[in-house]
Amino acid sequence: MQRIAGLLIEPVGCLAEFPCAPFQEIARRLLGRRGKFSASGSGCYWHLLKLVDEFSPQPLAEALEIEAVNAASLYEDTVPALAELKAMGIHLSIASSLSDAATTRFLEKHSLGDFFTSVWNRNNSGGVKAVPLVRALSDASLQPENVVFLTDTVEGIKVARAAGVHPILMMNDPDEARRLAMHNPAGGVVSLHEIPDFIRLIAAQNKRG
Amino acid sequence: MKKVSIYKPSTVDEAIQILSQHGTSAAVYAGGTDLLIRLKNRLEQAPSYLVDIKKIDHLRYIKEDAQGGVEIGAATKLAELADSRLLQERYPMLVEAINKISSPELRNASTLGGDLLQEVWCQYLRGGYSCWRNGGYLCYGAIGDNSYYHSAMGGRLCYAVYPGDAATALIPFDARAKLATPQGVKELSIEQLVPGDLMVDGRIQSHVVRFNEILTSVVIPAPKPGVRASFEKLRPRGVWDFAMASLAISLQLRDKTIDDARVVFGGIAGRPWRETAVETFLKGKTLSAELGEQAHSVALVNAAPLKYNATKIDMAKGLLASGLARLNA
Repeated sequence: MQRIAGLLIEPVGCLAEFPCAPFQEIARRLLGRRGKFSASGSGCYWHLLKLVDEFSPQPLAEALEIEAVNAASLYEDTVPALAELKAMGIHLSIASSLSDAATTRFLEKHSLGDFFTSVWNRNNSGGVKAVPLVRALSDASLQPENVVFLTDTVEGIKVARAAGVHPILMMNDPDEARRLAMHNPAGGVVSLHEIPDFIRLIAAQNKRG
Repeated sequence: MKKVSIYKPSTVDEAIQILSQHGTSAAVYAGGTDLLIRLKNRLEQAPSYLVDIKKIDHLRYIKEDAQGGVEIGAATKLAELADSRLLQERYPMLVEAINKISSPELRNASTLGGDLLQEVWCQYLRGGYSCWRNGGYLCYGAIGDNSYYHSAMGGRLCYAVYPGDAATALIPFDARAKLATPQGVKELSIEQLVPGDLMVDGRIQSHVVRFNEILTSVVIPAPKPGVRASFEKLRPRGVWDFAMASLAISLQLRDKTIDDARVVFGGIAGRPWRETAVETFLKGKTLSAELGEQAHSVALVNAAPLKYNATKIDMAKGLLASGLARLNA
């Protein structure tokens, strides 16, 4: 892996634990899908993204997403890890399929806005899944091979590959992570606080040649 | 097994020169009970150049120093430590720990330096998985079977436990390690020598020794008056295995009053885990039958077990109670 210059982050499952119910409700109302997709909020969210290319009607999805944001609990190492990454000079961008309103609410609620150079969501990027990642890359003139995308789902791994960036697994649930490891992510971390060490290790390995 | 070249330097300076020349693709070879197995297991991280230090003079000895302590050459065999009358008299707890390392056959080959600086024995690393220590970017132990050889006290990329017993047993004696480096001799406490998973020369390793440095000796200060010490180890099998949990404890006593304490757990974290909260708790207390139960409640409160290894914490706490009971007997 080459030097890591940037980190693209989907808040759902990478910065905070989101509830499942609002995403299931979106699926139920928009697609008539019933049943639980996954035990995790992130699993439900990505499963929903797998089913749809666009959220419409927007107001309904937005309202439920904001409900999810309001119920999300930030991981305890999110703030220290972001602060350390920013201090290391790593480019940090939100690249999310959430709505503009939901990402804004999430960043405001947890006072995270200052950590990110840019925030790309489905409204300002014009799409979901890989679209916000591609916009974030081009906006910051980052080479995809120097960028990682954090994810804890198979869909996330596929989306990262589609955008040409390295998928890094957030191993939130060991059993799920064991399954996901078979999809050949570029790496995996148990916790966000390991990302700075990850980046330092890559840098040291490249320096060593 | 990959092709390797072996150098046989006759001095430490020569060995350092060779190590400097080959960078991280070279490694010190003494007992070989860790290094050769990594080569045999075809690990990507295994070195291509072995610097055999067995023929270097003054690396294999046990001698009393001028301050009443003992200095042990890093290439001294574990069996020689176990048989040493000097160590048996001065530091019986250390000898007890050494006798619980591996098997008699392996103690005849393994060296003190090798035990201190050995690679972790995570089954995923040793099985050739592409993990943090073997050219990859993921800890399989964190998400796989972590019942035996993984940390219950958190981790930093790699979650394997530090496997050595000698370090755990040396810390209560405030032992120090001497390293030969291109810049001269460097001296560190054992805690500084093996601080757990960290990046050194672009690699994840448990110790701070750089690619061109050699551990040459360990110095144990003279035993303090009134010190009683104990080492206990729980293994998946009764013999010949790494610790599920171990405890090295020393108490400096004035009658039954504890003036000072050292409490170090092994087999539960990426480094020998010095439990200062228990040490502080013990200071000033009277050694009694009830103390173990009380110390139990303040021990390892920051434990962060993985999915299958919470039992390590119970074991470690049990060892603390039994260790204190043993010292009270």
